Amino acid sequence: MISFILMVNKQGQTRLSSYYQWMNMQERVALESEIIRKCLSRSELQCSFLEYRGFKVIYRRYASLFFIVGTVANPDAGPGAENNENELGLLEFIHTLVETMDKWAGSICELDIMYQLEQVHFILDEMVMNGHILETNRSNILRPLDLMDKESKKKEGMFGGR
Amino acid sequence: MSLKLRDLIRQVRSCKTAAEERAVIAKESAMIRTAIKEEQEQYRHRNVAKLLFMHMLGYPTHFGQLECMKLIASPHFPEKRIGYLGMMLLLSEEADVLMLATNSLKNDLNSSNKFVAGLALCTIGNLATADMSRDLAPEVEKHLTSSQPYLRKKACLAFSRCILKCADMMEDYVDKFTTLLKDRSHGVLITVVQLMTQVLLLDAEKNGVGGASVCRSAFLKLVPSLVKLLRNLLSVGYSPDHDVGGISDPFLQVQILTLLRFLGTGNEKASEEMNDVLAQVATNTETSKNAGNAILYECVQTIMAIQSEEGLRVLAVNILGRFLLNRDNNIRYVALNTLSRCVVQAGVTDDGGPNSASSALQRHRTTIVDCLKDPDISIRQRALELIYHLVNNENVETLTAELLNYLVLCPREHRVDICTRVLRVVEKYSPDDRWRVDTLITMLTIAGRECNREVLNFAIVYISRANEELRTYATHKLLKAIRDDDGTQKGLLVVGIWCIGEYGDLILKDYNYVPPPSSNADNSNANEEPVHISFMALDPTTVVKTVEDVTKRHTCPEEVQELALTCFAKLNDRFATIADEQTVKKLNNLVKKHKGSHSLELQLRSCEYTALISVAKGNVAQEDVTGESTAQDVIAAAKEALSRMPVVDLAVIQRKQKLTGEYKDSDNASAVPGGKSVSSSNNKSNEAAEPNLLDLNDIFGAAPTPAPAAETSIKKPIAKQNGTTKTEKQPEPPKAQSDLDLLSDIFSAPAAPAPPVLPSDPFAANTLAATPANNLFAPTPTVVPTPTVPPPSPFLPDPITAPTTATPVTAPPKGPAVNRIKGFTKEGLDIDFECKKPDPFNKQKTIITVHFKNNTDDSLYGLNLQVAVPKYITMEMQPPTSTTIPITGVVGAKQVTQTIHVTNTMLGTKNLMMKVKLGFTSKGNKIEHLQTCSGFEAGKY
Repeated sequence: MISFILMVNKQGQTRLSSYYQWMNMQERVALESEIIRKCLSRSELQCSFLEYRGFKVIYRRYASLFFIVGTVANPDAGPGAENNENELGLLEFIHTLVETMDKWAGSICELDIMYQLEQVHFILDEMVMNGHILETNRSNILRPLDLMDKESKKKEGMFGGR
Repeated sequence: MSLKLRDLIRQVRSCKTAAEERAVIAKESAMIRTAIKEEQEQYRHRNVAKLLFMHMLGYPTHFGQLECMKLIASPHFPEKRIGYLGMMLLLSEEADVLMLATNSLKNDLNSSNKFVAGLALCTIGNLATADMSRDLAPEVEKHLTSSQPYLRKKACLAFSRCILKCADMMEDYVDKFTTLLKDRSHGVLITVVQLMTQVLLLDAEKNGVGGASVCRSAFLKLVPSLVKLLRNLLSVGYSPDHDVGGISDPFLQVQILTLLRFLGTGNEKASEEMNDVLAQVATNTETSKNAGNAILYECVQTIMAIQSEEGLRVLAVNILGRFLLNRDNNIRYVALNTLSRCVVQAGVTDDGGPNSASSALQRHRTTIVDCLKDPDISIRQRALELIYHLVNNENVETLTAELLNYLVLCPREHRVDICTRVLRVVEKYSPDDRWRVDTLITMLTIAGRECNREVLNFAIVYISRANEELRTYATHKLLKAIRDDDGTQKGLLVVGIWCIGEYGDLILKDYNYVPPPSSNADNSNANEEPVHISFMALDPTTVVKTVEDVTKRHTCPEEVQELALTCFAKLNDRFATIADEQTVKKLNNLVKKHKGSHSLELQLRSCEYTALISVAKGNVAQEDVTGESTAQDVIAAAKEALSRMPVVDLAVIQRKQKLTGEYKDSDNASAVPGGKSVSSSNNKSNEAAEPNLLDLNDIFGAAPTPAPAAETSIKKPIAKQNGTTKTEKQPEPPKAQSDLDLLSDIFSAPAAPAPPVLPSDPFAANTLAATPANNLFAPTPTVVPTPTVPPPSPFLPDPITAPTTATPVTAPPKGPAVNRIKGFTKEGLDIDFECKKPDPFNKQKTIITVHFKNNTDDSLYGLNLQVAVPKYITMEMQPPTSTTIPITGVVGAKQVTQTIHVTNTMLGTKNLMMKVKLGFTSKGNKIEHLQTCSGFEAGKY
């Protein structure tokens, strides 16, 4: 299952983090900085996978932003189980995520993610849940979000307004 | 008033230093706390959003948890939405406040608004605890049949979380999945397939893989539906909704293939049902894009895991081969990954046929080995993993050479692991001893710094087990390596110094080796002319100088210093007659050098070895010789201690490892394989006896008439003395012999009067130090064997003032009450107990020396004395001085004794009592005898 999704820029600043396995703050900070350091040290030609502390990390770089997905063996399979995640599949998933965000923001950039953090989280929540893939169709992801935004802005929408 | 979120972000962005950023956040945190305290409702929403931002930056946000709870109860949708998001990001599953949310979640689940219900489902899916799952599962389940696909897909994953948290619920809902599999929404399909996979995994965990359970058998009936689903995806052509690079929903395809793998593994019928569709996927998938490769990758794994047709396997193996040769590193990575997964999966069942994973592996061996040289560490790691599986008897030499090459370039932190793996390979597949020793030494020269204790131990064991010729070679090679090294390869130094100490005399001659031309003609032709190996003879001065140079470096670790001392002491013996006077003198000085060392161990060794050397040279002080022992005995024993260690029996060590299950790499000497059990110090031999206690209980339990007094206490404090030699006629139950075997092999080697007990860890800190204590002087019956290992007891003479520590013949304190008590007689064997109070201040302690007297006309063999004492007595037993008792009274016959230390903790109220079990062989007859001895003077012992 997916254990965490990160968006980190080239300077190593985290722009978004979503964990599907609880980790305390020190662990998160250490993990994020270690992983980005490893990603940065790799060249374009090298493969998009790395192994770090029992995580299999799949990353992809778009402009100055790294999209990083960490996976672990499915916790239901008991201890010592093998990580069966399809690395290539997740690489494709990262691309889908980026395309979706692109469609949502016109042309996504680091600042969009920064200033609309909660919106990006809403997108992510439509795509991943508890470390499993929920939806990969762009319009299926964005349509409900649009609707929610529109309706909650209306005074007398489906949410009753305030 | 607190800032707007946008302003906060702006401020943080403009910070130039981390300290500045911290200050901004600290100020804002304080503002938020105030706002929370003042219940500023209108800012709640904004504050939580800010907390999310701060949380992402890595600052504490725990104070906002309750705010999230308040927000989710809000009727206003944007607030509720932020509240749920905050909950999912800020709270852990263990948070106490989470239970407060249960009620809100229940309300929202029942909301008529699909977005509100969706939020609740999402939160349950990410965060539900076991309690929440139990409470909310019925509501979640209702949404599985909702009219909205938006809710159905979320319900699937939320439900999967609930099942994970309370696995007992899963069987009740199995039939729901059938309808869900017919759903038209891909979102629902992908979630339900993942849900089913999860259920299967949980099931396998509970019932064992392939176990027939309700869920599994229900799912097996769904295989045709899954196959149909997959086939539809393949044949649907272009569908704009789910197209990724010309492939219809690769994500769903991958998930279905995964599920099929779990269903088809170990099930012939299911495998048969999916054969066709798998073939279709394998042949029709477009491989120019990543998405297609993802599907193929999954498909190959499924084909290799299930019981697929032969033709299909050929297809899969070919795809893997293609992957391996691909130029894209990602593809090569997954190919390596798949191969090692398949090999592990196949494990024992792999028939090695032409289409099995292992044959594919062998076919692509060169490619895989090439991957070890890839600049990409991820690829190298995968390749390394595979190579371990690849090694067999034929290719071990080339592959190990590759591994050693890789060892040179790999990052330091991986070296430990590789060393251990190489050791395993070497253990298992070595063609001959020479190669093995050679490989291990090469490995030590490369990674002696990093490799763990186990590797060192085995290197030494293998060298000591080899023949004289090979030992010479190894020592020569090690000495050369030590000279070339810069003194940082600790492992090399440890092994090298040990070998020089043991086999120092062997390298004083020229060494020549010509490999036998006939044995491996192919190899030598292929490579070059047979390598002629030769080393020049060394003179003792050079040898000593080499070791001395190592110890002179200030970076030299203490462990190496200690070993070097042992080495010098041993060399002193080896070179005694060969070397010139100056060298011998130098050796003596080197041993003495640490007499004043701050390190206890070094000081102790230095003093003891000095004493040992002087005794071995015949300088026996009169006070050292007491009782019936002669000066010759003492000298012989000292020489024995300095002579070569007996060979360690590998089989016994390995058996021992299995027994204790200790393969832990630890630098602690006692955790070394076998080290614990056979170390010669007293307390350790008692430890080692513990596994055998149960067997002993049986023996005693079967005794005909156990004395009532001893019976109560018979269970526990049976100390089994470890020194008993197993003879072929030993009447021991076979189970109990693991320890005995070990020692018997050691004892059978030298026929000296007091064979030193060999610790299988050749560096156990007390190797030599403890040996004299227990055995060396044991022939002297009146000796008080004082353990010379720390912590110092009041009777341990100060090593500085009394350099004769090694001779534990510390004169017993004045006026020890010696009292000889008649034991019993059995079949001509007389047993007497000589009791002594070693400590005038501690009356509880007694040393009992058992004297064996043979009154028959032939020697008695296989002496084995076991003693049980009541609980209030603690006891330590030492091995008998010999297990063979010669006829007493004959000239030259040695007295056989055995020493037992007892402490009566209830002295005064209870008396010393012993239950004795005696076993020996007289004229070919095994004799066993059980007796309670209670003739000790009341109140005194």
